Amino acid sequence: MFGINKNKDTSSLKTVKEISDKKVTIISSVSSIIVGLLFGLVILFVIELVKANSDFTNPFYGFVNLMTSGLTSIDSILKLLYKAAPLMMTGLAIGFAFKAGLFNIGATGQYTVGAFFALIAAILWQFPWWAALIVAMITGALWGFIPGLFKAVFNINEVITTIMLNWTALFFVNLLFYNNPGIYLTPERTTALASANPSAILPDLGLKVALNSSYVNIGILIAILFAIVIYIILEKTTFGFEIKACGHNKNASIYAGIKAKRTIIYTMLISGALAGVGGGIQFLSGTVQYTVSSTTLLPMGFNGIPVALLAFSNPIGIIFSSLFISFLQVGGEKMQPTYSPEMVNVILAVIIYFSAFSLILSQFIRKRLNKKALELEEAANQADAIVDENAPPEEEPDEPVIDKGSGKEAKK
Amino acid sequence: MDIIAIIIANTIAYGVPLLLVALAGMFSERSGIVNIALEGIMIFGALFGSIFLTTGIVNTTFAANNPQLVVFIAMILSAIMGSLFSLLLAYAAIKLKADQVISGTALNIFAPAFAIILAWAIQGQGVTDIPLPDIVDLSWGFDLANMPNWLNTLLSKKMYLTTPISIIVLLVAWITMYKTRFGLRLRSCGEHPQAADSVGIKVLKMRYIGVAISGFLAGIGGFAFVMASSNSTFTADVAGYGFLALAVMIFGNWKPFRILFAALFFSFFKTISALAVDAQLSSIFPTFNLAAPENLYKMLPYLITLVVLAFTSKQSRAPKAEGIPYDPGKR
Repeated sequence: MFGINKNKDTSSLKTVKEISDKKVTIISSVSSIIVGLLFGLVILFVIELVKANSDFTNPFYGFVNLMTSGLTSIDSILKLLYKAAPLMMTGLAIGFAFKAGLFNIGATGQYTVGAFFALIAAILWQFPWWAALIVAMITGALWGFIPGLFKAVFNINEVITTIMLNWTALFFVNLLFYNNPGIYLTPERTTALASANPSAILPDLGLKVALNSSYVNIGILIAILFAIVIYIILEKTTFGFEIKACGHNKNASIYAGIKAKRTIIYTMLISGALAGVGGGIQFLSGTVQYTVSSTTLLPMGFNGIPVALLAFSNPIGIIFSSLFISFLQVGGEKMQPTYSPEMVNVILAVIIYFSAFSLILSQFIRKRLNKKALELEEAANQADAIVDENAPPEEEPDEPVIDKGSGKEAKK
Repeated sequence: MDIIAIIIANTIAYGVPLLLVALAGMFSERSGIVNIALEGIMIFGALFGSIFLTTGIVNTTFAANNPQLVVFIAMILSAIMGSLFSLLLAYAAIKLKADQVISGTALNIFAPAFAIILAWAIQGQGVTDIPLPDIVDLSWGFDLANMPNWLNTLLSKKMYLTTPISIIVLLVAWITMYKTRFGLRLRSCGEHPQAADSVGIKVLKMRYIGVAISGFLAGIGGFAFVMASSNSTFTADVAGYGFLALAVMIFGNWKPFRILFAALFFSFFKTISALAVDAQLSSIFPTFNLAAPENLYKMLPYLITLVVLAFTSKQSRAPKAEGIPYDPGKR
């Protein structure tokens, strides 16, 4: 009987240990978020101090706007989802590359190329939306393939090549734009899809009319689908294992027989494809047109970086982090004109910076959790000892994570 | 003659910030810390230099008598703020042993957003550009109007205080790196910190210093960018120069004079691409029957750098311990 009891206890111990990793990740993410938001509030007060005519109620209104606007109306919720979809895709692109130890800062370039080719497919070739999305995927993948190749063959840091390719992508797209007059009515932006090819606009499942919002489309569903597929690839396939092995220790993975070069190229290919789909989702929504610029890169690819970092590159986590960042962005717009919507980026930067502390924090939390587990175990042992003093001493289950501090605690 | 002068002047104008920031990257990476935050540090430093120049100081008689001294103070202010900002990276990377790329990215996201917010708050709603006053133009103390046109172009149109300073920085950087005990110690921390530690070098301290120097130079570089490459207007953006400087540093193989060459190489092609857009000069560039052919030329600097990197990658030698937090117990 007591044996069963004890088994029950140890199994609960195991679950504590198993969930502790996830729990630790979530706790440290949430605490970084709280620190980031508080820092944002402090910055608002500092701005009010710097200003000529200070009004200290402003920071509170600004902050409340930031934290509530994303969810106050159906329209803003739909806007949140609409903005989250491409963000999720670029976040996935960057997170996926992170898993292989690659920093794909070129998601912007892949996103731009994917977006523009989706528009070419939609406007010039009159493709339906799904075919245009596939074109975006393929072209994004090709743009991601180049830095992968450079990394694998010449061992050139992917950060450098992707940065070069970001700007190359911008001018390449500009060149294509001006040399395909069919794609624009005025030589600064592409023709609106509604007039050029309505079948290329992402379907809205009839909700656009029902909910009376222009922001509804299936983009968010596509993005979530991709997140799940990437999760399965990473967690359930050999290829995913190879990617993670390369990310942890490239030399060890080569020693274990993994073709690291091939894995790097495939990783960048897939990463580029994800970013390309992101571009497709954004520009096939029918609400935006591609505007030519020769000085600034599209910010979506860079916004994917905090999305991936906040979720520790976990594809399922990226679903939530992109929704969260999109929520902040919708709220940030509502802080105007008193405050710049850039406030959101300051908060994100602080969150990411503080996630650097997560290592220390997670060690602390782990210590606490282990201590709790050990106390449970001790209580169980004592119960055993009291009821059955003659029973032979049972072997302690192996607890490799126990650290010295809490071990001493247990001995007492 | 004039066109050559224009090309040289522009090459130098684009090259100066690249050189300064690539040298900044060199100091950090040679000590073992990957400084991907150069972009953010440039913006953060330049922000304070620019704000300083827009305060009342410009209208004082002191500024009227010593305009370049005021610019120099603004530059030093940029450098100090850059240095302080870079310590955030140093703390995360050295003390907390955080991922250096991630903390660097945090700084890169922070700086432009913070700059816009501050400029917005100081100047009023929606105004985020900070134009610099005219005193930043470098007059050499003699009358250039009587000079031949090409000399005037070469010396006055695109030269700023940071141009001569960048040469001094280059020389000092080379001497520090290769002719002083400090330089040797710094380099050893980037190559094999455990060995350096075993002979009594304080690795963590050296790395802090390496990053701080890096921030100092990147701050100057950011200020130089605003003066020379951004029409003397601070826009909370340095057009990816911090990242380009990283490429220049790698192309320059983490060595000062090769970095100079790499910076001028890149900026030369950047100049060519800029001239291709110029209405008067664009006629000499072939158009290949394309509409808007200038975009082809704008791709050039990036594509050529990629090709060159591919060809020189065999000789490229990064500091061995860069990016790895120092662990005294590791062999």
